[in-house]
Formats: sequence, C-alpha cells, structure tokens
Amino acid sequence: MQFKRVHDDVRAYEVFARKLRQEPLRQIGSVVAPDDDLAAAYARATYDEERWIELAVVPREAINTLWAPGEEASA
Amino acid sequence: MSLGALVLSLADNKQLLGLRYAEWATRAPSLEADIAAAAMGLDDLGHSRVLYGCLEPLGDDPREPERESNAARYLNLAYFDESFASWGHFVAANAVLDTAFSVMLQAMVEGSTEVLKTRLRKMLMEERYHFLHGRSWLRAGIDQAPLTAAWQEALEWFGPPDGEVAQLHSSGALALGPGELRARLEERLDSAAPELQLDWTAWDPGRRRSRPGQIDDRTFGMLRGLEENRYAAARV
Repeated sequence: MQFKRVHDDVRAYEVFARKLRQEPLRQIGSVVAPDDDLAAAYARATYDEERWIELAVVPREAINTLWAPGEEASA
Repeated sequence: MSLGALVLSLADNKQLLGLRYAEWATRAPSLEADIAAAAMGLDDLGHSRVLYGCLEPLGDDPREPERESNAARYLNLAYFDESFASWGHFVAANAVLDTAFSVMLQAMVEGSTEVLKTRLRKMLMEERYHFLHGRSWLRAGIDQAPLTAAWQEALEWFGPPDGEVAQLHSSGALALGPGELRARLEERLDSAAPELQLDWTAWDPGRRRSRPGQIDDRTFGMLRGLEENRYAAARV
C-alpha cells in the first residue's frame, strides 16, 4: 500500500529543547505538520520521553541559514 | 448521581478512549499522527488510573463486582463500544469527546473537592495537546456523521439541565453545570453544537447515555485481563 499523507500542504518544523535552565536550547529532531498546533502536538507526542524544561517548535523556513556544511563562511 | 459516580464515569470513558486511541497507533494517516495516537492513548489510560484512585479518598466508590463479568456495567459512552470505524471517528472523539471530558475535569478542578483539585490539575496540561491535535484535524474536515454522534454523546454525558450534574454544580462540587459545560465546549471548539434531538426519557442516568449496548467482547476481555492482573505471577 502506498503511503499517503492526508494533508497535502505540510511543512517541516525543527524541534528544540533543553533540560536545564543554564543549558542552551538545542535541536533534538523535527516533525512534519500542516499547522503550528499539530506541530506542537506532534513534537510533544514524539519527544516527551525525556524531562525537558523547555520544548519549542520552529518552522524550518523561519531559519535563516548563514552558511552550511560545504559552504564557505562569508566574511 | 454522586460525585464518585461521575468520577467513575469519567474514568471508564477515559480508559476506553485511551484504548480506542491506541488501536490507531499504526493506522493513522501519517507517522506523526501514529505517534500522537499512541501518546494520547497512554495519557488517557494514565488519567483513568488517577481517577479510579480518587474514588477511595472521596469515600464514594460505586464500582460493583458485576463489572468483572458484565460489560454493560461499564459506564462508557456508546461511542466507545466498538473500535473507531474510520479516521473521522477518531478525530471526532479527539476533538469533541476528549475536550468534553477536559471541560468536566476543569469543572472538578475548580470545584470544592480537595482531592480532585489537587490530583486532576496535571491532566489539564496534558490534555492541551490532545485539544490542539483534535482541533487541527477537525479543521482539516471530516464526515458529518461521526461528528454529530460525538456531539450528541458529549451533550448527553453532560446530562439534563436539571439533573445530577446541575445539583453537583449547585452544591459547589463542580464549577460548571450542564449549560456552562456545553457553552465551554462550544467556545473551545469555536463552533456551535449541531441541531440535535436530546431525548432524556431514553437516557440512562447511570451510564449517562441513551443508546443501549456495551463494549465489544474482545475489548472487555482485555479490560478484565487488566483488572485481574493475570500477569502478576510472572513478576514473582
């Protein structure tokens, strides 16, 4: 059976979390969802196994990449 | 109906809702929805355990021995008698019935009974994500039939305007009565309930439902297995 998503219009969200106040947020994974509400519900369901003090989702398209592996940093 | 009977009704319904969610953990429309179904199932099974645990401190445990052998003694809504027939049934239960249970939880937490005020608060935090999940999928669109059925059973579960829930509200045990519960549910879902015929003459005040029936045999067998703790010997 071919896998098919019900939602056609989905986007990727990066998931960030931290366990301690003195830690920075770090990226722990990603989810795919059609809106912010489902992204929050999916991130909580998928990544709630550990005791995070903060958990956040950010649309991947909102991240402005300055440079990436294989690219040179601009001066 | 006593407050204990209402807590038991909520516990039975959350137990069945958790089991029905879990049945979709490998059948939902996306991997993320699979995981959410499993997580929400675990949440509601956990909530039911906490609610059953409130009965003793309430001093009002209406569970009878007949529950061990007669599925019709369970206080679950008819919506949970059988597995969800479609993803639309899942979404309607998630959006309408799960939220109806959360609205009642809120009424208990804001009521005057100390054990409920302290033990049930954390559930509301977990239920926030059930609500976001259900509302978002509901907005994506589902068939009207399961949605109407879910609304019907939610309003029946709140009970008649002059019934026991109204009395519990008057006594302060619940912060909301049937009318306020309905209004809160409509407000949270940002939609009015559909036109419904609520026939209170056919309504069973014990099970808080009008439709006769009971849990399917397979599910009831599983519940009995849980209650009998039949795997306890393996831990010795």
